[in-house]
Amino acid sequence: MKTFLLSLAALFVTVAASAQVPSVKVENSKGESFDTAALLEEGTPMIISFWSTTCKPCIRELEAVYEALPDWLEEVDFRVVAVSTDDSRQLAKAKSFAEGRGWGSDFTLLFDKNQDFMRAMNVTVVPHVFVVDAKGKVVFSHTAYVQGGEVELFEAVKKSVRKK
Amino acid sequence: MKKVLLATLAVAFSFVSFADEKKDWGYVSASLESNNNLYVEDVVNNFYPSEQPQLKDGNTFATNNYLKVDWYKDRLSAGMQVEGYFPSLVGFAVSQNKMTLSNLYLSWKDKSYSVTAGSFYEQFGSGLLFRSWEDRMLGLNNAMLGVRATYGWEDKIAFKAFWGIPRLGKIDDNTAMMGYTDSFFGLGLTDVQVAGADLSVSLSNLLNMETVNLDLEGSVINKHEAMAEALAAAGCKENNIGWSGRLNMEYDGFFFKGEYVDAGKQIVSVPAAMNGRKAENGNAQLVELGYNGRGLGLTVTGRRMERMNQRIYNYAGADPGYGTSVNMLSYRPAMSTQYTYMLMTLNPYSPQVGDKVIKAGEIGGQVDAFYNFRRGTRVGGKRGMKVHANFSSWHSLDEKGSVEGSELLFRDFSFDVEKQWTRKFKSTLMYCYQNYNKNHDMTGLYIGKSHVVVADMLYKWSSKLSSRLELQYLSSKDDQKDWMAGLLEVNFAPHWSVFASDMWNHGDTGLHYYNGGVSFSMSHLRVAAGYGRYRAGYICSGGVCRAIPAYTGANLSLTASF
Repeated sequence: MKTFLLSLAALFVTVAASAQVPSVKVENSKGESFDTAALLEEGTPMIISFWSTTCKPCIRELEAVYEALPDWLEEVDFRVVAVSTDDSRQLAKAKSFAEGRGWGSDFTLLFDKNQDFMRAMNVTVVPHVFVVDAKGKVVFSHTAYVQGGEVELFEAVKKSVRKK
Repeated sequence: MKKVLLATLAVAFSFVSFADEKKDWGYVSASLESNNNLYVEDVVNNFYPSEQPQLKDGNTFATNNYLKVDWYKDRLSAGMQVEGYFPSLVGFAVSQNKMTLSNLYLSWKDKSYSVTAGSFYEQFGSGLLFRSWEDRMLGLNNAMLGVRATYGWEDKIAFKAFWGIPRLGKIDDNTAMMGYTDSFFGLGLTDVQVAGADLSVSLSNLLNMETVNLDLEGSVINKHEAMAEALAAAGCKENNIGWSGRLNMEYDGFFFKGEYVDAGKQIVSVPAAMNGRKAENGNAQLVELGYNGRGLGLTVTGRRMERMNQRIYNYAGADPGYGTSVNMLSYRPAMSTQYTYMLMTLNPYSPQVGDKVIKAGEIGGQVDAFYNFRRGTRVGGKRGMKVHANFSSWHSLDEKGSVEGSELLFRDFSFDVEKQWTRKFKSTLMYCYQNYNKNHDMTGLYIGKSHVVVADMLYKWSSKLSSRLELQYLSSKDDQKDWMAGLLEVNFAPHWSVFASDMWNHGDTGLHYYNGGVSFSMSHLRVAAGYGRYRAGYICSGGVCRAIPAYTGANLSLTASF
């Protein structure tokens, strides 16, 4: 047990390399196959937010981002990619839910029905957000959301642009 | 075993070290999840730690841990997952001080093709024919160990094929089951082999149809299983072939999805018969249609399932139903609303796959409608308003698969309104009516009725301080009659959150199910601690429900992702 915990602690202290966005097949809102590597083609920073219809904090976070987005875009050019981790039970519902919220007009909506992208990004719980810079490097990530946490997220987006 | 794991960790460390040196060694991504409970005897809740099979010699502490590490270098990736149970949490399959390597893979991904050797997850269509996935809440991980290859011709044709041995995941330490071996690095493999292929053709892209999206898809699966005499006598075959055909259409927001599945021969329990089982043909039909656009999201779903048991392996002993609940090779979820408010989740629906002779399965459907009244409209007001309604109804199929002897299994209706009143105040009001079967496996005909109302209010005191209050009431003349519940959450952005809640069954038992906790999250890390009394219930997913025993105690969970 001790060896196990020490090994884990050592591993997490050592892991510091900058992660990127792996290539994984998911679905877009039309049900077409979409390779996540294509997200990097535009060469602009982006927020990638993993959410699900049964996760209330996820919805609150995306709503907060949706409300603030027009103001944020006046300062920085970036995109928001909302990745639903709902499986077949909720997949159709997730698409209708996102449209019912108006997210489709401002966010890139992706649907990860067997959680392949989620696993590849090592997301264990949602909400989980990543800020990816224009070069495709993950420069910020955050698990969980409390009301007001979107301010820290936007600061990370601005910082990623300054880094550029 | 330990040597193997330590060696694997050493390899992971070396990759990480290389990455640190900023050489072109790719990068490492990792995650850790640790769930820990300290149990306390609670006579009122009828919970005694000493009676739990995994808590021995006065031990009251249990912990489930998962470490996953992936390494990426251009088109190459490799990874592993290690699980540790010291011992496993109460309610999960019993495991004593055990660490296992659950996943290990090497993968090459090019522009048009990919090859994976080792552990992988896969899903064909909706998963009704085949799905391998992980659900840690359910204690399920039926990853395949084998080889998978995919090929895509532009965006016109996608093909994938695999061969592998399904992992059964966690089962009892003391349970000996046919088809299960724990000898291969603790991977928990069965001696069943599965091969499958899936083809998806985009007719719209082939024919350059610009406004319509039209896909034709098909899959085939072969499960090879050693035949014990009892299984062969029941009509099972060594090689069981299943297939599915699918059609997907999308035009200007309108969509249609249709899927037909033939699952081949499936085992059905026949209690009165000599050998207790017989094999019948399994099939399912799924239809989804609706419209998404202009602030409206509308989905109509219908599904019929007959003899869709689809176990990874079939037990040859006296009781054909014997085995673990995670013994499944496909995904048959409940197609009803997955509620999140406490009192709405007391009686979840568990879909009927038709594994008992008396009922061949289920038939039913649901309708979901979401609408956004935009800002500036008469109803939406200054800040808009969101409404959602759902209706679902599910009935059993009789022994012959017909609706003639059909009985109501579950029905619900819910309606919710979300309104941002001011910059600081937001509310959600929800009503739900449920007809539920008292027995989660729907074997009984006792149907209960309940009405639940919820008020969920969020107030932002400042940019960093907010509070949320949930008030809930359940009214029922059945089962444990009336309940009430409340939750108060105070958030200090961006890191801290504290909450206290109570669920009170004042209609019958008088029991309080109290709970309180605090969570801290920063960057990659989240830590949450709490103490409470938990009611017995079910976690349901994919057509199975895991019984959660009542317990009282403290919990600490940690998740980290890099």
